[in-house]
Amino acid sequence: MQDCITRRQLLRWIPSGGLAAASIGWGDTVALHAADLRKHGKACILLWMQGGPSQFETFSPLEGHKNGGGTKAISTNVPGMRFAEHWPALAKIGNRLAVVRSMTSKEGSHPRASYLLHTGYLPNPSARHPTLGSIVASQLAAQLAGETPDLPPVVRIGARGRNDSGAGILGMQWDPFELRDPTQNPANTKPMVAADRHLLRLDLMERLEENFASQAPQEAADHKSLYRRATRMIMSSDMQTFDLKSEPQSVQQEYGEGAFAASCLLARRLIESGVSFVEVVMNGWDTHQDNFTQVEKLAGQVDRPFAALVRDLETRGMLDNTLVIWMGEFGRTPQINPRGGRDHFPRSFNALLAGGGVKGGQIIGRTDKAGVEVTDRPVTVPDLFATFCKSMSIDPTIENMAPSGRPIKLVDGGKAVTELFNG
Amino acid sequence: MQQRPFSNKRPLLQLRTGRVAGLLSGFLSGLLLGLVATIASAAPQPVAICDDETFLRRIALDTVGRQPTPAEIDSFLADPSANKRADAIDGFLADPDWARTWARYFRDVILYRRSDDRAIFMAQPLEAMLSDRLAKGVSWAAIAREFITATGVPAEHGETAIIMAQMGETADIAAEVSRVFLGIQIQCAQCHDHFTDHWKRKEFHAFAAFFPRIEIQRSSGMGAERFEVVSYDAAPRRSKKMSDNPRRGDLEHAMPDLEDPSEPGQVMKPQFFINNKKLPLGIKDAERRRAVAGWITTADNPWFSRAIINRIWTELVGAGFYEGIDDIGPDRTPQSPHMLDDLSQQFIASNYDMRSLFRAILSTQIYQRESRSRSSPQRAGFAANCPQRLRSDQLFKQILSAIGVDEAQIRKDSSAQTAATPATAAKNKKSGKQQINVPRVLFTQVFGYDPSLPREEIVGSIPQALLLMNSQPLSVAFDGDRQSTTLGRLLHNEEDDRTVVKDLYLRALARHPTPGEQAACLEHVHATGDREEAFEDVFWALLNSAEFVHRK
Repeated sequence: MQDCITRRQLLRWIPSGGLAAASIGWGDTVALHAADLRKHGKACILLWMQGGPSQFETFSPLEGHKNGGGTKAISTNVPGMRFAEHWPALAKIGNRLAVVRSMTSKEGSHPRASYLLHTGYLPNPSARHPTLGSIVASQLAAQLAGETPDLPPVVRIGARGRNDSGAGILGMQWDPFELRDPTQNPANTKPMVAADRHLLRLDLMERLEENFASQAPQEAADHKSLYRRATRMIMSSDMQTFDLKSEPQSVQQEYGEGAFAASCLLARRLIESGVSFVEVVMNGWDTHQDNFTQVEKLAGQVDRPFAALVRDLETRGMLDNTLVIWMGEFGRTPQINPRGGRDHFPRSFNALLAGGGVKGGQIIGRTDKAGVEVTDRPVTVPDLFATFCKSMSIDPTIENMAPSGRPIKLVDGGKAVTELFNG
Repeated sequence: MQQRPFSNKRPLLQLRTGRVAGLLSGFLSGLLLGLVATIASAAPQPVAICDDETFLRRIALDTVGRQPTPAEIDSFLADPSANKRADAIDGFLADPDWARTWARYFRDVILYRRSDDRAIFMAQPLEAMLSDRLAKGVSWAAIAREFITATGVPAEHGETAIIMAQMGETADIAAEVSRVFLGIQIQCAQCHDHFTDHWKRKEFHAFAAFFPRIEIQRSSGMGAERFEVVSYDAAPRRSKKMSDNPRRGDLEHAMPDLEDPSEPGQVMKPQFFINNKKLPLGIKDAERRRAVAGWITTADNPWFSRAIINRIWTELVGAGFYEGIDDIGPDRTPQSPHMLDDLSQQFIASNYDMRSLFRAILSTQIYQRESRSRSSPQRAGFAANCPQRLRSDQLFKQILSAIGVDEAQIRKDSSAQTAATPATAAKNKKSGKQQINVPRVLFTQVFGYDPSLPREEIVGSIPQALLLMNSQPLSVAFDGDRQSTTLGRLLHNEEDDRTVVKDLYLRALARHPTPGEQAACLEHVHATGDREEAFEDVFWALLNSAEFVHRK
């Protein structure tokens, strides 16, 4: 076996970045910091509460009304802004958070509402709408012009289904890269053989492709470029991003324990490595039974890592450019059912935003005292998506073509909630 | 004959009248080869007919969803018969795997447009139902009628798939029935008159009015949710919980009021936008759907046959008569309209026989030409075939056959791994969960794509490349040291490196290596010094090549 590899071979396979990683052996290199540039790039982290989180046990507590179910509220560090008692860590950084208490939609079935809150559209068999992550990544890539990260631009952690998360009409290159377990390296990223032999194999593959390429030059060239991107990824020093243990102990402790905490930490590391969009999925919010103990448990897993993530981004100077979104597909009924649960309720629910130019410490909209109707400043799903676009300087009226030749806007109507932003 | 410009209609008509008797008796492949080859000469300079090896791999993948075995290749190359391509077409179309391969294809056509992930459990019953119908030679019209009029328990009635995939939503079912069976995207007229076509909003909602009385009932039970598709003709229905649609549960479909969506909207009489036939209000579900199924599949409706012909032609040739595989209709202009008409007439005369349609297309010179890149101008006017990215099921089979592993075996291994006890295995089976972890399904999660999307949008993804490059099960198969692997046995039993190269090419790419490829491989073996290692590299390079994941 050839035990050394020429620089030419390397360059051919790794056009930029991680060259050092490949020659030293991937995995044991020090991160090369192109991070300064990336720090200024916009990014987005979606904390997705699958199942529909109760607004009343989160950031819209109903004090002194029977629909509140006896959930106590606590003060935050912003006067007049109160959260349910299960969120002490976030309460300490209320001045970084904006709560939208007047979300409203009509879609009360999980799959359709998940699709709606992921894409801004209701499902329709004529076209798959791109998920928020794919929209953001493809648009930010256009803004970056050439500065492509070694890692995939959209990453989704801990999801079960796939129906609400594809790139749809934007094309597969914007599909989220799915990670089941935040503590493991992603699947199939370790070459079967030593790095130098792996590169030799790729070289051999290209040589043997000539016959096919003579009739199908386009397909052969696309294939080659895909293999180069995949190789660049697995040989990149940025693969270290997935190694959470390399994070200082003190930071790991800040985030706390559990899969959601690990995912939040990984999300920050991915954004730092140039990934544009990370979705972290937290399952279990469909609390038809026993709502109060269940939400307490869920909040126990979400509160601390969420707060740590916001603080960590701020410490690193990344918060202004990174929008953090907390939301689910709908809220829950103000009335408590006989099983101590709350059922689906899209009519009024909430969402939380931090960073990305959003001015913290404010509450948008309100409902009546019973928590039923939005009485002030209703925010529709398209409004919310227009707000995301504003945060990331994306033009929501940009159109993509559906296969049927029908133009589809990034956001269908909707006006950004401008009071969320400074100035 | 090939050079005759297509604009000349005369030879087509002469052929047609001269051979009426033959056509009426169904498709005769030899006859059609001549006929379509004549009319197919739309392109000024068609490329050459492909060689036998390319033809055999292409047709095997396109019919039975796998590549030919080395033995099949040898015997096909050695066959001196002038009819051998026609014979091969007949042989493959008679194979039960033809039915299974295309059942899987239509499974994807329907389920990739599901509005709800729960409908994924329809994959197995849908595939079983379609395999059965296609194998038995049931006509496409009869199959369509089954889908449109379906009721029953989905697990036992694959034909409920369109309804289940759209979770019983009236407008979405109407949209899918039109898209799949008519190739008409009339749902664009759901909220406004169609932008590019002449369809009006009213026409869409009158069509949707054939489907408001379909109900998906759920019986609660432990584990898997139990569904049943039923007709609901007794007013009014209770459960509106599944949807935000205020009209859901009504016995008649109403066109929503765009100004005020909370208003009940205008109640629509069922009317079919192609022939304008209508039914009064109050008609029972079974009767409505039977009526519209009949009108859709009648010979008077040209779009029913054109939709399926355009779809199959596009899959086999790489480009369709209409640009969108499922976006045709009276406002679009097809390429080569006379050839399309002709195929339509043959298809109707054969009583919508799918094997005959395949035989007709596979027998054309157009199909049998060499391929050129999708983006190449040389493909204009059907002058060449096109390299097609393999569908997930084709690629999965191809990998297993290349590495010499049996699907039944890995399926057994993996279900033993995922289900710790026989009790969990039984429970999983009951709930449909056992489907989720079978290797083919896991593979599909990475390699699957919606076959109705324009194929230029289907590009390879990084997870796909990573799986082929690095996955653990494959790395075992590449081990040339082991007697348990195909590669290991080949290296052990065969001393001549040239023969090893040839065998690996036949296994991986279903063709012989060119002299240049032979030389490059031998050079690699020589330079590497370690024979096992070098051939592991060669085999790996072939299985990761663009050629491997495309059919040329």
